[in-house]
Amino acid sequence: MLIINCPYCGPRDQCEFTNGGEAHVTRPKNPENISDQMWAEYVFFRSNPKGIYYERWVHSHGCKKWFNSVRDTSTDEIIKVYKIIDKKPLPKEFKNKIKTPSGEPKVGSGNFTVKK
Amino acid sequence: MQSKDNKNSSFILFHQSINFFFDGVKYKGFKGDTIASALIRNNINFVGRSFKYHRPRGIYTCGIEEPNALVQIISEYGEPNTRATIKEIYEGMEVESQNRWPSLDYDFGSINSLLSPLFTAGFYNKTFMRPRGFWKKVYEPIIRKAAGLGKPPQPYRTKSTHFHHHVDVAIVGGGLSALLALKSFIGSEYQVLLIEKDSNLGGILNNSNKISKIFGKESSLWLKETLEEISTSSNIKILTNTLVTNYNYINHLIAIEDLVVGTKPLENIPDQVLHKIRADQVILANGHIERLISFRNNDLPGVMLASSFEKYIERYGVIPDVNPVIFSNNSSTLSLLKTLVDLSCKPQAYIDSRPGNKLEKDLLNVIHENNIPLFTNAKIEGCQGKKKIEEVSVRDSKGNITKIKTNKLCISGGLNPDVHLFTQSKGVLIWDDQYLTFKPDTPFQNTIVIGSAGGIFNYGDLGKDIDKKLKFLNLKQLGKIEFDLIESNDFFIEKLWEVKHEKKSPWSKSFIDLQNDVTTNDLRQGIKEGFDRIEHLKRFTTNSMGTDQGKISSINALGIVSEILKKKISEVGTTIYRPPYAPLSFSSIAGRNTYEFYDPERKTPIHEWHKKNGAVFEDVGQWKRPWYFESKPDESFEEAVQRESLHVRKYAGVLDGSTLGKIEIKGRDALEFMNLIYTNSFSKMKPMTARYALMLKEDGMVMDDGIVSKISNEHFIATTTTGGAANVLSHMEEFAQTEWPHLNVYLNSVTEQFCTFNISGPNSRSILKKVFKDINFDNQNFPFMTFGNYKYIDSKINILRASFTGEIGYEIYVSPSMALALWEDLFRFGEDHGLIAYGTETMHLLRAEKGYIIVGQDTDGSVTPYDLGLEWMIGKNKEDFIGKRSLSRPDTIRNDRKQLVGVIPTDKKNIIEEGQHIILSRNYKPPIKMLGHVTSSYMSPNLNHSFGMAVIQDGKKLINSKAYISSSKGESFEVEIIKPIFFDKNNERLMS
Repeated sequence: MLIINCPYCGPRDQCEFTNGGEAHVTRPKNPENISDQMWAEYVFFRSNPKGIYYERWVHSHGCKKWFNSVRDTSTDEIIKVYKIIDKKPLPKEFKNKIKTPSGEPKVGSGNFTVKK
Repeated sequence: MQSKDNKNSSFILFHQSINFFFDGVKYKGFKGDTIASALIRNNINFVGRSFKYHRPRGIYTCGIEEPNALVQIISEYGEPNTRATIKEIYEGMEVESQNRWPSLDYDFGSINSLLSPLFTAGFYNKTFMRPRGFWKKVYEPIIRKAAGLGKPPQPYRTKSTHFHHHVDVAIVGGGLSALLALKSFIGSEYQVLLIEKDSNLGGILNNSNKISKIFGKESSLWLKETLEEISTSSNIKILTNTLVTNYNYINHLIAIEDLVVGTKPLENIPDQVLHKIRADQVILANGHIERLISFRNNDLPGVMLASSFEKYIERYGVIPDVNPVIFSNNSSTLSLLKTLVDLSCKPQAYIDSRPGNKLEKDLLNVIHENNIPLFTNAKIEGCQGKKKIEEVSVRDSKGNITKIKTNKLCISGGLNPDVHLFTQSKGVLIWDDQYLTFKPDTPFQNTIVIGSAGGIFNYGDLGKDIDKKLKFLNLKQLGKIEFDLIESNDFFIEKLWEVKHEKKSPWSKSFIDLQNDVTTNDLRQGIKEGFDRIEHLKRFTTNSMGTDQGKISSINALGIVSEILKKKISEVGTTIYRPPYAPLSFSSIAGRNTYEFYDPERKTPIHEWHKKNGAVFEDVGQWKRPWYFESKPDESFEEAVQRESLHVRKYAGVLDGSTLGKIEIKGRDALEFMNLIYTNSFSKMKPMTARYALMLKEDGMVMDDGIVSKISNEHFIATTTTGGAANVLSHMEEFAQTEWPHLNVYLNSVTEQFCTFNISGPNSRSILKKVFKDINFDNQNFPFMTFGNYKYIDSKINILRASFTGEIGYEIYVSPSMALALWEDLFRFGEDHGLIAYGTETMHLLRAEKGYIIVGQDTDGSVTPYDLGLEWMIGKNKEDFIGKRSLSRPDTIRNDRKQLVGVIPTDKKNIIEEGQHIILSRNYKPPIKMLGHVTSSYMSPNLNHSFGMAVIQDGKKLINSKAYISSSKGESFEVEIIKPIFFDKNNERLMS
């Protein structure tokens, strides 16, 4: 179970939170004027990267506040949490921890148990 | 030969004898005995039958790693698969062996053993394929009866609890290295929690005599002094009888504490505690586990791991056999040999697979001084016997066989660091060439592995290693620790995974996984059939998939596989170790959250009244709602609903609608927010009026509905469905916080702040006029969809004219403290007007007669407002609302979507059933095109026939045509497709 550092309450167990999917998917300002495809992009499509991932959480059994986080999906490490109103941190701010040729981190991905 | 008590052991209270029962026979043990040690004391070695072949099995180990000695505790609700090697006995304990019928000695299932040449890996998958359908009815029940471990326990109410810890350092294990580490934490600033699975701390110091002295002191004295020293430090907490089973992400440990060691669990007293531990640093000091060697019939009762044999002597005060044979491939068996000799027990023979010139001098000295027959460069090829070992065959380097009569064989195939928790934490292992085993290498979390768990088997290095690994914590240094050892400092092991079979009998087997009955030949066959990846091979052969997870054998399996594949073991890799380390009962995980505490029950303030008046309840979310009311004791569900439904339309009825979700929306921008969240437009709505409103998801599908009351442009109250209340509030919160943080709006759930009564029926107005004498309920003054604030006794109430039944109706919102008084008032004044209370089923029936939908019953997340014929609810002039854009997507404007219609049977005697399919023609030649299905159906007492609502493809166009509907009786029947409204089509009753 993760520990998530709520920007309003501090570090708490994951069971207090609900995941809200990918962050920074902005609702288009003028939905009527955009194409079906662009609208579908917003409603249905999300990225599913291995590595740095921006996602939303809500402290549903706590302050009920929504906030954003940056998580490395290959190790589950939460690298940063920030408020909804804060600016999106750029990917280059985070060290790319992926090391092996297949893109797996050397430790922690769970696919390797033995050092070769 | 016989077992013998070792009265030197200080852990067994020999003056306190305890009677217990094994398979109905009374035996005597002593306080401190486990089931296994007590049985050994009574010379019982045969304790169970194996999983697949029903072969006789004995006690193999002395701890958590036990694969064979699993028993059922009859005196504890029949708890199955309990390890006899860790469960302590108590007076009157009843224990039964498992997987045998009718008895352990005469087991019917052992016929499997005769057929065993057939039962190789993958046998079931290959054999029971045909004929089709036989698996479920014939094969599976038979196989299930024959295979398996214990029987399911009786249901009982657990009293176990959960306990949370937040500490700086958690130490797993309480052996020598853990105690050394703990010593350096004495008086430090760190909060330390040590978790030990045994009831005593000390590990190897208690379980063997490998270490005779520490700093010149007897090791038991050193232990006593160390524990006293530790107990003075207030920053250290110790949990004994507690097993760490999980090592999760961010140093989160799960441990299970047994509170009833050596006593019978009492009712109402917790028997287990589930500890959830969060630590900044985890120190793993959970030691090592000895592994077996595979040879012919290495599963016979009487074979035991050498270190376990030693543990029985030292820790449990019983010598399992005074003249055993010892078989080893490494240096670790010296201490066992020495212990036996010191107790004047002479081993029958010592067999070592290592060459004679490489054996340790100390070992050779003991052997020669005591004239113990020694076989070097030799192996145990196999053993013979029926239900126990009677004879072992030794093969020397030249291939000559010597037979030795014995009942006990101690084996040691080497030592494995217990890396299970380390790999659970996602650390990476490395192969160690000296010890021929995997040991921890790179940790993934804040994990430090010390002692033998970290692959440090040399005691001389122990102190230095701990100092080095804990240096960053700035603790007291341990320095060099002086040990007097009965063990070689240069550990030497020769690779030996398996000894080749001598006798080629189809019934002799060399086991690799004792619990799952996997033989070394199964591994070979699996690889031959193409399962040459270790994870595939594991699943095909079920190797290491038992409850012991192959603790004593998994490395051997890797060794054998690596030799077949001619690869290095590190290339073969290990299978992934998964939690839990050892099984923990569901009752401990459930804790107190069972029965009525499983999920909170929510009751309205009228609940007791409902109960007194014959209500039968249904669960709606967490709420208990009256489903229907029994007017007389033997009234059936159908009768009650028909009576209530007829009565409400004729006179009046009241429904306890307090469970409806209610959300208050306030703020400067409340109007704009509401216009964005709902499909309806609230701009032109007059204050103090209400509106039926629809909420969509962004994909355009109906999410919820309810009535929105407008108090002003800054203040709204929205009702939601009972089950959807929490979702709707979090949906609103999400958009308020994430998409439109610039809007000034506050949301608040007021579900429990108001009770709601829905009174409806032709007489409802006259009843309310009597209850609230000051309010003018006339149609002009109080039209449909208006509301007002009034006073009832001392409290404020709201009355809204709305209806879910199609009759004149009012919703009364009252504070919970006054709710029961008002409810009783309604009945006092309503009695003459025929007022009854009705339940949810009648509400559903009446609303269906009017064609009102229930979100979640008539919709399923793929239904748009257009599909429901609710175009009129969409604020087309609004620039935007959630879901609006999706309503013009190609998929949602398709005209062949499933649309809501009404269906009535042409022959009114037929009854439409919910969920049945609708087809257009009676031509049954497949493929039959399904148009859709019935979402709601009822028997209407007001129409006198059955009717239904359905979603069917292109439904709007099919109105006024015929279709056919399937039924559970097998025969389809004809129905008419009509608009989904069945009663009072012009809403005359509603508006009157």
